[in-house]
Amino acid sequence: MHTALSLSELQQQFMAALYDADVPGPATSIAGNGLAPEARLHIYRNSCNEIQTSALRTTYPAVLALVGEAFFDQSARGYRRAHPSHSGNLQAFGETFAEYLETLTGCRSFPYLPDVARLEWLRQQTVLAPDSQPIDLVESLDTSGGSQRIVLHPSLHLLESRYPVFTIWHYALQPTSTRLVLDGGGESVVLWREDGEVAMATLDPASFACIAAFAHDYSLDDAQAAAMAVDPDFALVECVESLLQRRLITGIKPFVAPRKEPPTCR
Amino acid sequence: MTNPIATDVQPVPAAAGIGLRAPHVARVRDEHPRIAWLETHSENLFAAGGPFHDAMDRIRADYPLSLHGVGLSLGSVDRLDDAHLRRLRELVNCYQPELVSEHLCWGAIGSRHSNDLLPLPFTEEALRLMVSRIGQVQETLGREMLVENISTYLRFEGGDYTEWDFVAEVVRRSGCGLLCDVNNIYVNSVNHGFDPRVYLDALPREAIKEIHLAGFTSKENLPVPLLIDSHSRRVDTQVWNLYADAIDLFGPVPTLIEWDQDIPALEVLLDEAAHAEEVLDAHRALAV
Repeated sequence: MHTALSLSELQQQFMAALYDADVPGPATSIAGNGLAPEARLHIYRNSCNEIQTSALRTTYPAVLALVGEAFFDQSARGYRRAHPSHSGNLQAFGETFAEYLETLTGCRSFPYLPDVARLEWLRQQTVLAPDSQPIDLVESLDTSGGSQRIVLHPSLHLLESRYPVFTIWHYALQPTSTRLVLDGGGESVVLWREDGEVAMATLDPASFACIAAFAHDYSLDDAQAAAMAVDPDFALVECVESLLQRRLITGIKPFVAPRKEPPTCR
Repeated sequence: MTNPIATDVQPVPAAAGIGLRAPHVARVRDEHPRIAWLETHSENLFAAGGPFHDAMDRIRADYPLSLHGVGLSLGSVDRLDDAHLRRLRELVNCYQPELVSEHLCWGAIGSRHSNDLLPLPFTEEALRLMVSRIGQVQETLGREMLVENISTYLRFEGGDYTEWDFVAEVVRRSGCGLLCDVNNIYVNSVNHGFDPRVYLDALPREAIKEIHLAGFTSKENLPVPLLIDSHSRRVDTQVWNLYADAIDLFGPVPTLIEWDQDIPALEVLLDEAAHAEEVLDAHRALAV
């Protein structure tokens, strides 16, 4: 029996059915015309699931390679129910996939998987980051005083992991014939955009601490101190020069106010 | 509504273009293949920077451009997503496309987005909502927009209009342009059982600024025929025939080949575009 729904009721019931197969949706308002109304609604449910799952596959290829299609698609279904898409721009969908994977019992035997997902989300953010003109010279850089800070390119991202996440990511997408041997150590990764592509490298802990401090607007002095707390032999000038060579410094600005929190990228 | 288009905007010609998708961006940028015009999804340019913007900076100097949105959700009862609309306005101001389009559908409600093109009931309530939203977008963008008729796999009970009268009335009341997707008309004619030529006849000819063509797939093992607007194949013969009828009715209109799944080599898209050009040329030959 057809009951006239308002447009608002119709859309709310329709959307609920797209996100949950157990919800019948506005079936009584749908003309069957030779098919069950539920079957017609199910076409949209499948389509919505496929569009959003496909977006996650594109963003998370290494996670997909590590867990296989069946487990990935099942996780994607669970994820979109728990964390629905909020935007008409699909590039914004999937930000919390790593946190969702952490909650899955099936992922407990892959404890590194959430960090691989974090790395892949950062890869996407690196591709899509704003452009900014790098500076060529740091003649005005005063490494003796604490009154300046480094402005990093917006495409630069950092990830610190307890797992060898960079090695695992490479192995997932380009498996070698030899078995992957992991020594149990974590890896700290820097990501940036180079010629329109994502570039990645692992960093020693002191360089990571220094660049993370730059990313949090620390003064040069404080960034150096943070790095030297990790490694007393850390050389600030070498770190700054390597950023400069990769065109990842976009400005040198007066240092304004200290931050109380320690630098962290997670 | 007039378009405050800058003088360097290249008009989209009444010829065949293609939807520019990621696998072909580098080749189009570097080799400048002969294509009358290009269309890109607006949302693919929503990021603040990156390689697609770099490529489009060069591509838009070589080709007339259309921006086609898939995520604004014009027909949602919820208010329009302000951030989405603001970003669209920035892109329109930056890229100065001659054509800007969205879909006659809804896609989101209550902070959940389907990222799909969902059907509206053809009621007076939905019609008024669409007219009001199109007005809001045209006012925000300061220019005309086109709306596209979508493929659907269900019809709601009741309703005050046929689909074609609904589309025509939205265009008439809002003053927007119409992006007539001929494949979607054919798909719906099979899925819902009507004569697609009746649909074409009902459309306001002067409002039709663009045509879309694409391939569909057929759902098997169902008690009724059901076509899916998959954008995954060549344009079907029946759709080519309907396109020729549309051109006879409307005259030559910028026509776009869309292909979004199982995207083939650029040559296949160019071949489909050449077929559309033949239809346009045949009409012009007869019109002389």
